[in-house]
Amino acid sequence: MDASRPVSLTIGALDRTSKIIETGLRDDRTLEVPPEHEGAPASWFTGSPTPGQRGPAVLLGHVNSTADDSGVFYNLDALEQGDQISVTRTDGTRAIFEVYKSELYPKNDFPTKAVYSPTPGAELRLITCDGFTASSGDFVKNLVIYAKLVDTA
Amino acid sequence: MKLMKKTMLLAPAVALGLTAMGAAPAMADHAEGSYSTMLNQVNSSGASGEAWVTVEGSQATVTIETSGLAETFKDAAYPHVQHIHIGAQGTCPTMADDANGDGVISTVEGKPAYGAIGTTLSVGSAAKDASTATDVTVAPSGSSYTYKETFELNEKTQDALANGTAVAVVHGLNPANQPAAATETMSGLPGAAKLPLAATAPALCGPLQMMPAGGADTGVTPTEQGGANEMGMYALGGGLIAAAGAGYAIRRSKVAAR
Repeated sequence: MDASRPVSLTIGALDRTSKIIETGLRDDRTLEVPPEHEGAPASWFTGSPTPGQRGPAVLLGHVNSTADDSGVFYNLDALEQGDQISVTRTDGTRAIFEVYKSELYPKNDFPTKAVYSPTPGAELRLITCDGFTASSGDFVKNLVIYAKLVDTA
Repeated sequence: MKLMKKTMLLAPAVALGLTAMGAAPAMADHAEGSYSTMLNQVNSSGASGEAWVTVEGSQATVTIETSGLAETFKDAAYPHVQHIHIGAQGTCPTMADDANGDGVISTVEGKPAYGAIGTTLSVGSAAKDASTATDVTVAPSGSSYTYKETFELNEKTQDALANGTAVAVVHGLNPANQPAAATETMSGLPGAAKLPLAATAPALCGPLQMMPAGGADTGVTPTEQGGANEMGMYALGGGLIAAAGAGYAIRRSKVAAR
């Protein structure tokens, strides 16, 4: 598909729909993340291809919010191989992806190349946090859902 | 709220060291990191590819993978000169950039989008500056290839990578799937003036994007009512100068990324 910025996504298996905003990189080259309030949307990393274009489009969402345990990417670990994620784009088309892998990585040993490197086909990466550690109040892991473009509409 | 306290204390110190958020400071290691791009077809070349650049100190390792490029030229493997272009918009040209309307985006017509040559991605120990820009004897060749070289990256290409205006471009079209102008017109480029337009026009292009360092802070620390993000926005809106804002971002992410 040609480049077209994403506006929303739907994850049927989780009965989830969200607007998509845009985020970039911080000065230290880590990913900016969406706002943290209740009902905050997911975001598309503007340094990645637009969903449906060749390459890995990166979408970020919080697992929780300041007010609630259920952020926009809550419960992503329930996704299974074959589950579909549909992204609606500004040009009105939809890119439909199918989950093929779900991986949990420690944040201090995150395989940046595997997750962000160019891919020959159109792919999607959903990234959220996991591994909440009560002693520090931090999430020590990232959950990454890998999906491939299977259809367009 | 320990996070908030730390960042506020740090802000004035950082403000002294940083002058602007957008401009890349001229430091030796400012381009350190990884960059990548999908190489997409230009001039309906039918080719595709990927490019990676890893910068350590001032050394760069550049990997280019291609497929579907023009295969032969005058019964020999088709040479594809390739460069990192710099200093313009950091984008790839489209047919709208075909200024003379001959149906081919020439190397020069692509310049407003991708800029001038910063580095020539020549093979082996051949010079990597503009002196080899059109030297087909040191270019990779054939329809599909993997190019991988490590070399000293010049300062201006480092600057372009850091500020997002570096673009990987592979040249050389198959005349068979191009309009007549591609073979009837000569390129006119220095060092390649007598080569047909097809031999030098861009076939693949991709803006080199900085790859993120590590994972993402996509979990909200529950005790922080209001959230660090909103605090950041509030601070900027409250009139802190841009440099202090940038310092805030750096500090915040370091703290949050633990």
